Amino acid sequence: MVIGQAEQRTGERSAAPLAVSTDGLSKRFGDRTVVDNVALAIPAGAVCGFVGPNGAGKTTTIRMLLGLVRPTSGSGTILGGRLSEPASYLNKVGALIESPAFYPQLSGRENLKVLARLGRLPLAAVDPVLERSGLLARAGDRYRSYSLGMKQRLGIAAAMLAGPELLILDEPTNGLDPAGIVEMRSLIRSFAGDGITVLVSSHLISEIEQICDHVVMIRAGRLVHQGPVDALRATQQAEYLIAPEHDADRDRLARLLQEAGCTVLPGEGAGVLLVQEGGLGAADVNRLATQYGITLRQLGERTRSLERAFFALTGSKSADVPDDQELGAIR
Amino acid sequence: MTWAAFTSEWTKLRRPTLFFSTFLGLALAASLFVILVFSQATTHGGIVTLHQLAQPNGLVIGVARAAMLLGVVAFGIAASQVASEYSLGTLRQLLVRQPRRAVLLAGKMLGVITFLVLALCFAAVVALIVAVVAAHSRGVSTSAWFTGTGLGDLFRELGDLALAVVGYSVLGMALGQFVRSAVFAVIIGFAWLIAVENIVVRIVPSTQSWLPGQSILAVASGGGEGVSYGHGLVLGAVYLIAAIAAATLVFLRSDITA
Ligand SMILES: Nc1ncnc2c1ncn2[C@@H]1O[C@H](COP(=O)(O)OP(=O)(O)OP(=O)(O)O)[C@@H](O)[C@H]1O
Ligand SMILES: [Mg+2]
Repeated sequence: MVIGQAEQRTGERSAAPLAVSTDGLSKRFGDRTVVDNVALAIPAGAVCGFVGPNGAGKTTTIRMLLGLVRPTSGSGTILGGRLSEPASYLNKVGALIESPAFYPQLSGRENLKVLARLGRLPLAAVDPVLERSGLLARAGDRYRSYSLGMKQRLGIAAAMLAGPELLILDEPTNGLDPAGIVEMRSLIRSFAGDGITVLVSSHLISEIEQICDHVVMIRAGRLVHQGPVDALRATQQAEYLIAPEHDADRDRLARLLQEAGCTVLPGEGAGVLLVQEGGLGAADVNRLATQYGITLRQLGERTRSLERAFFALTGSKSADVPDDQELGAIR
Repeated sequence: MTWAAFTSEWTKLRRPTLFFSTFLGLALAASLFVILVFSQATTHGGIVTLHQLAQPNGLVIGVARAAMLLGVVAFGIAASQVASEYSLGTLRQLLVRQPRRAVLLAGKMLGVITFLVLALCFAAVVALIVAVVAAHSRGVSTSAWFTGTGLGDLFRELGDLALAVVGYSVLGMALGQFVRSAVFAVIIGFAWLIAVENIVVRIVPSTQSWLPGQSILAVASGGGEGVSYGHGLVLGAVYLIAAIAAATLVFLRSDITA
């Protein structure tokens, strides 16, 4: 079987068949290498996040998977079809690439009919996808009159039109308000419930973290990491925000923890310390403090954010990733 | 498969703004042209004489002069139907549903060509009605028009115009494919057809029989000054095949990053 071969090639140990696998996928534009030797292995049925900072090559990779951009080198298998023959698998794929693009003078419904006719899909498939993306009531209005959120929904509806086994969504929450983002997340989750493999790109790791069970990270065209989200998060050691009852004990507490092998940094707020590494659990930290007669008024584990894993892997901080997730301390 | 691409293209062509502006616009232009011809005709002169208008070929006289206008419309619409897929970014969606690019392009070309030829036929019918009314008001006898000879001339001329529309549309779509911008394609196309070829022919008259626009014009007018009908037909076909081949090759090899 083709899928079996793909598994062997990428050396994946799990028995799950791969929906997408590539080998040495590269793309050069002129003399700039934009995607460099990327070997993807995305298990069937996964909701896979595809993250990387702006310009990392996410869209270019996605375009190669969709047969829009011809790889400079490399090969791949998608849903059992060969990457070099997009016609062999694209009938089972739905995609939203970058921003949604439709004909402004046609209604939402007519826009989908253009695609349905082209793909020889039943026109009866149009209204159900409009309904699912919450656009049915406005389906007769011209695309031109749609709000950004509605345009995005139409993009999702178009991607769903063919009843895909693989859904590729490039930054689907772009331009959505917070409520729209939450809705988009639950929509994507619902696709996973239907057994559809989803590849969703984003430059916001916090977003990926909330909806994905698998993650692929790229940076400057190179694959940095891929695998289950949980496994990645587990590689991150816990961090604690602690504060002694009396601020005067702060320095003594810091010294004790340092002696125990931890890295201790000043935390936000008076008397608060940030404790990293050292392999201590929350109970260990508490016990150590009590042992030396220090009572803690705060002991919180900081969320093990994927974001930090990402920085750890890529080795540098990107301005594209906001810090709002970092202070998820439990008080 | 090409049929699917064809019907898909027609879903876009059918949009009211494009459909009505093309069909009514061409019909209006043709009618105004007929009215102009009839109102200026006198017993001695004008664009044509009243006597000429009463001949079996009276209907088609002067029509060839309107071919240029028809060409401009066909070229512009065809070019923008192709180029706008790039500027709107819709091409990437189309290619996911139909990855065989040659099929997509063939369906689009057939769609655009049928659209423009139908618009031409509609304009011809409207212009014919206007011509009959205008003839009555100027006291020109229309009996010769509806004889075998008259109708034969009419249909031959319509067929030639339809061929010219095919020619202008294909050139427009090919240029739209290369330039990927409706505005630039139209500017370049119009400048070429209206200005460049004329200037070149003025400077080096012998080039007239070798230019694409001139060969299509010769077909449209059933053989013109300098270029015979047969020569125009063959040369035009060569240009069109070359244009289709080049556009297809470029399309097949290009990266779609729009
Ligand atoms: N047609 C092209 N010609 C030249 N360079 C290109 C082309 N398309 C993309 N690039 C370059 O490739 C790099 C990767 O672009 P890409 O759009 O794939 O990044 P991305 O990860 O999707 O970024 P973003 O998060 O901003 O969407 C960029 O530096 C871009 O300038
Ligand atoms: Mg992108």
